[in-house]
Amino acid sequence: MSSLVGFISLSLAIGINFFLLFSYFFLKNKNYNFNLIVRLSSVLTLISFFSLMFSYVTSDFSNFNVFQNSHSNKPLIYKISGTWGNHEGSMLLWISILSIYGFLFSITKVADLKFKQLTLVIQSSLHILFGLFIVFTSNPFLVNSVIVKEGLGLNPILQDPGLAIHPPVLYAGYVGYSIIFSLAIAGLLNKNNDDEWLYIAKKWSLISWTFLTGGIALGSYWAYYELGWGGWWFWDPVENISLMPWITGLALVHSLLMIRGEQILKKWIIFLSILCFSLSIFGTFLVRSGILTSVHSFAADASRGLFILLIFFIITGFGFLVFLLRTPENSKPINLLFVNKVSALVINNVLMIITTLTILLGTIYPIIIEVITNDRISVGGPYFNSTVIPIMMPGFLLMSVAPVLSWQTNRLRNAKLYVLGFMIISVVVLIQSYFTTFNTWGVLGLILGVWIIVASIISIFSSYKIKFSYKMLQKINPHIAHIGVGIAIVGITCSSVFKEEYDYNINEGDKFRIKNTFITFQKVETTNEANFQALRANFLIKKDEKLVANIRAGKNYYPVSKMITSEAGIFHEWFRDIYFIVGDQKDNNWFIKIYINPFVSFIWLGVLIMVLSGFIGVTKK
Amino acid sequence: MSLRYQRLLLILITLILILIAVMLILFNAKENISYFYTPSEINSSNITINKKIRIGGFVKKNSFNKISSSEFNFKITDNEKSISVIYSGILPDLFREEQGTVIEGYFDDKKIFNATTVFAKHDENYMPSSVKSKLEDSGYWNKKY
Repeated sequence: MSSLVGFISLSLAIGINFFLLFSYFFLKNKNYNFNLIVRLSSVLTLISFFSLMFSYVTSDFSNFNVFQNSHSNKPLIYKISGTWGNHEGSMLLWISILSIYGFLFSITKVADLKFKQLTLVIQSSLHILFGLFIVFTSNPFLVNSVIVKEGLGLNPILQDPGLAIHPPVLYAGYVGYSIIFSLAIAGLLNKNNDDEWLYIAKKWSLISWTFLTGGIALGSYWAYYELGWGGWWFWDPVENISLMPWITGLALVHSLLMIRGEQILKKWIIFLSILCFSLSIFGTFLVRSGILTSVHSFAADASRGLFILLIFFIITGFGFLVFLLRTPENSKPINLLFVNKVSALVINNVLMIITTLTILLGTIYPIIIEVITNDRISVGGPYFNSTVIPIMMPGFLLMSVAPVLSWQTNRLRNAKLYVLGFMIISVVVLIQSYFTTFNTWGVLGLILGVWIIVASIISIFSSYKIKFSYKMLQKINPHIAHIGVGIAIVGITCSSVFKEEYDYNINEGDKFRIKNTFITFQKVETTNEANFQALRANFLIKKDEKLVANIRAGKNYYPVSKMITSEAGIFHEWFRDIYFIVGDQKDNNWFIKIYINPFVSFIWLGVLIMVLSGFIGVTKK
Repeated sequence: MSLRYQRLLLILITLILILIAVMLILFNAKENISYFYTPSEINSSNITINKKIRIGGFVKKNSFNKISSSEFNFKITDNEKSISVIYSGILPDLFREEQGTVIEGYFDDKKIFNATTVFAKHDENYMPSSVKSKLEDSGYWNKKY
């Protein structure tokens, strides 16, 4: 029943959007409420989404999708997250978020009504494209042909709170670029050529970027504690694909800043707006088509891949075609000096685009080679590390002082203070690393990270009178975001360069020592949980003869899907994580792997600061 | 500075940055690309000892052997040829006999493959498309893998 409701409301929503499109172009008499129609279609799409969720929550196995991906003894949260834990459901989530953005845009105030209508029409066209994709290739409302009492269960590795909210947050980022795309195209087509849309786009681009940051970080955090590889980023194609719109989105956020300096690089902004959404769809295509060999599993169905490729070409082609045909003129010449804010922003944009291209190249290179030479290759993480990081480094150096550079002149206030600060930090880091372990990347990363933090703090104190108010927070927001980046860089550098790895073949009751930490490997227990069996090894951690923690690491066995998942045990400290993985056993002898990951928590802290400052930025006028 | 001069400067900086990027890509691409083979594609002519490659296939039935709690040997096969593999470390959760897997490592000599990484998939239904098409070609593709 709920499947029927869901399917009908989705079809109705698509139908309404068709009507909107038709009436916009062919009906002269537009005496209907445009906004209301858009909202109606959004509500219908959401009804469709929630009826699928309802099927999941009530374990309605007459729905084929529910039957394939759910099981009645799952905890409620995973029944809910099961809605988007599969291809069909996740596409329905995609279109639901698309229509939420349409809805939100329809209730925002826009002075130019024609422009608003045009934007909504473009958004509705996107809704139609993805709606048809769902109806024809990935319908989540198919009826199960046989009557069953039990479902097949959700992939246990997805049964995790972090991953339950990861897709909606990530999609809120990806799909947010749809509204920016619509705004950019409407801005190009609109005859009344003013720049109002740039101010609107600025807000939406910040919202999308913030969600995308959160989504990527959640996925990364999940990989860190759930996959048991001891790392948090693997340069897997799926990760690269999310990073590309993230970086171009960041470039967009920064170039939209130039509106404030009244230096509008309109062409460039429009180009980026189209590119962001194109990369989002391109990512979806690569992931869903199964063209890329990735450790992430997604439906590898050729027809779906082709359909998404078609959508990608329609949207990207249309976007860039409009862009070429109606290229706007830059309204004002840009004021580019040797060291002013504009040149800093321009260089930062150039760097970000080069970075995106480098990642794109590494990601699709295997496909190109396979098509040309029939050789199958894979590009490993080291490629990305040794290309992407050096390319971004000048950008990091620049971002430390960029917010305090002037729009008009060549002068940097307190330049001496900054130079002095930089020198002190460099010397301290060099001396420190000389006496510990010297590593070029480690030194560079540390200097840059610490420098960004320090320079941002110097800028805050030297350019503003500090008051404790929200307004103040809004004012210093760019610096706060950059401090977040600096903290994350320190975390990333330390956790990857100074990571230590220890292997043990030990029996229950054995003790061992890592530096000043004493660890006892206590007994291994098995327990029965709601829908899995848990095997846990207990580790007692002692420091200076005092018991500081009891960490449990092990594996879960899910009988429904006959799968085992590793559950890493992590002992969090401020400056390092001790990360336990339990391996195999033979005759009571267990293999234990321990990673010491210094400063990992700084990464999450840094990202959290970026996300918060993203939201603060949205509230700024 | 005149507008023209500034634009020139911008273009110059961009070009230098792109040049650096291209150099980095060229220098790094070669070392970090590993070729991917199926067991039957491996023969004495294309084995280079100590060169990093990847092999994809599935774990041969009854070939898995635990030497200790952290050392294993098994055979990886595409039902035409199989290759002996030794690995030490933690095997991924989804590693099982008759399941698809991709291993990365190198040949010590002409016979035994020394795996440094064993990849497993997030999903048990998953198999890399390249392995899948190879297996389909040789007629051994089974939906269950």
